[in-house]
Amino acid sequence: MVSQHVILDLVEQVGAIARSDTVTVPLGPGDHAQTQIMVEDWCARTGNELVEMRGESATVRRGRAPDPLAELAPELMPGTRLWMYTNFDCNLACDYCCARSSPQTARRALGVDRVRRLANEASEAGVSELILTGGEPFLLPDIDELVAACTAMLPTTLLTNGMLFRGRRLEALRRMDRSRLALQISLDSGTPDLHDSHRGQGSWERAVAGIRIARDEGFRVRVAATLPYELTHELEPFHDFLDSLGIAREDHVIRALAHRGVADHGVELTLETLIPEVTVTAEGVYWHPVSADHEDQFVTPQIFPLRAAIDEVRQRFTEQRAHATAAARWFPCA
Amino acid sequence: MDRPLIIGSVAYSPNIVTIWEGMRDYFADTAAEMDFVLFSNYGRQVDALLDGSIDLAWNTNLAWVRTHAQTDGACRALAMRDTDTVFQTVFVARAGTNLTGLDDLRGRRLVLGSRDSAQAAILPVYFLEHAGPGADTVELVRIDSDVGKHGDTGRSELDALRAVSDEQADAAAIGINTWEAIGRDELMPGAFEAFWESPTYSHCNFTALPTVPDERTDPWLQLLLAMDWDNPEHRPILEMEGLRKWVRPQLDGYDSLFEAVTEQRIAARW
Repeated sequence: MVSQHVILDLVEQVGAIARSDTVTVPLGPGDHAQTQIMVEDWCARTGNELVEMRGESATVRRGRAPDPLAELAPELMPGTRLWMYTNFDCNLACDYCCARSSPQTARRALGVDRVRRLANEASEAGVSELILTGGEPFLLPDIDELVAACTAMLPTTLLTNGMLFRGRRLEALRRMDRSRLALQISLDSGTPDLHDSHRGQGSWERAVAGIRIARDEGFRVRVAATLPYELTHELEPFHDFLDSLGIAREDHVIRALAHRGVADHGVELTLETLIPEVTVTAEGVYWHPVSADHEDQFVTPQIFPLRAAIDEVRQRFTEQRAHATAAARWFPCA
Repeated sequence: MDRPLIIGSVAYSPNIVTIWEGMRDYFADTAAEMDFVLFSNYGRQVDALLDGSIDLAWNTNLAWVRTHAQTDGACRALAMRDTDTVFQTVFVARAGTNLTGLDDLRGRRLVLGSRDSAQAAILPVYFLEHAGPGADTVELVRIDSDVGKHGDTGRSELDALRAVSDEQADAAAIGINTWEAIGRDELMPGAFEAFWESPTYSHCNFTALPTVPDERTDPWLQLLLAMDWDNPEHRPILEMEGLRKWVRPQLDGYDSLFEAVTEQRIAARW
């Protein structure tokens, strides 16, 4: 025995609300389990969504909740790019490093076996680009092996400070696949002062030298600057300098300083404000590369299978956006 | 085009705004731009069409008949939904009451919807007269819960079904759209059953007066008819408005309502 009025109430009340809004109707007397089945059937038939059954009532959304993933540009879909932190130690100790990297930081290397497996699974999981970062990846003795494992599967970008292209590391660089690898070298300014004030005396000159070496070796080079937000609007001299180094304009990457890691100020980046980019470290999967090593954006310790990790991130993104939308709906201040 | 076509629609649901904003977007930057004006009832909308405040009216079948009467038939229908060409009235009873046709309503209590609803009030009486035992042999109970909107909200029909469910009446006359919305007799086993379905008739249409020339309406009509269910940009509007395809009007589908309005002496205005 179920209450027939539930469906009549739903037709009337759902018809009177705007698309995406919700309505809660009483279940009435009778068997609630059967009523739930009836409401589910009605929703399936009419293209509406049963949000929840709680106690004596059912909440139904007119239409279906918009899919936040469907609203993203294809290149922003979580899992389109896979970030891998190869290691966390670094030859520099930048005062804004989001990963808290320095010469004293433990290596916590991902290792070639996991990188290879990730690259293989990434290709099958629909990832279109791999990005290796650290720490400073060129501190790893097997960096060329890691890169080869990646470039064998997908186009790859390797983030570096560009300061270590000498000796065996230069030889390692030379063994990398120029047709599949881009280098992204950090440089914050067109003159040494600003760059060196954050990264250490003499680091600007060595980074610029590294850019020249990489270009001379035939690699595509992107240059990435990390700047306080207020400086991101005065970039023409910097662009001119990069032009002089032969860096294409589309390879000038300017990003605002994030209040993460050891940075004492910068843009606040949270789960709610970031579109996730699946990021893997030795410890597990994180929401975004800017927050690797931060508990608040730790997703799961289960790196494998990678597809499951990507699905987990997408699922959380969907839930988080739905939660934010719901909160906005029930929290009018006036 | 000098100015956009102004289309009137009655605001019977919050989604009407979404629908018409979507329609306006669809026609934006074309040779047939449009805008819309919302009315609280069909009487005001027809008045606005007649005085030239709007160029087109999205009219119910009763609003069409009334516009026709007030223009001596000079108004023209431009298009309708595919679902408007096959509208029906359904007579519904509690399951198991063994009503098998309109004749079984003799001496019984039938609930009708709003008195200005063609599907739930005017045509049911017409069908009782022409295909049943005559309206005066049946006890008619009217639920006038959304007068002015010609039954668009469906509320009076749902109230009629509640009355049947609560055994305050033997049967209800409702539109096929309401019958579909409650899942016909499939979602609530043992609740309702249909014992008579009317012939199909026409429902809403876009109505224009002769003062709005074809040169203004034709480009708009061509674009309207080109809306495509398989186009993801068009589909949400079509879904919300309850159609798969816009079609040319089927005017003979209004014959029964013209007759009903005459027979029942329903006022030509409002």
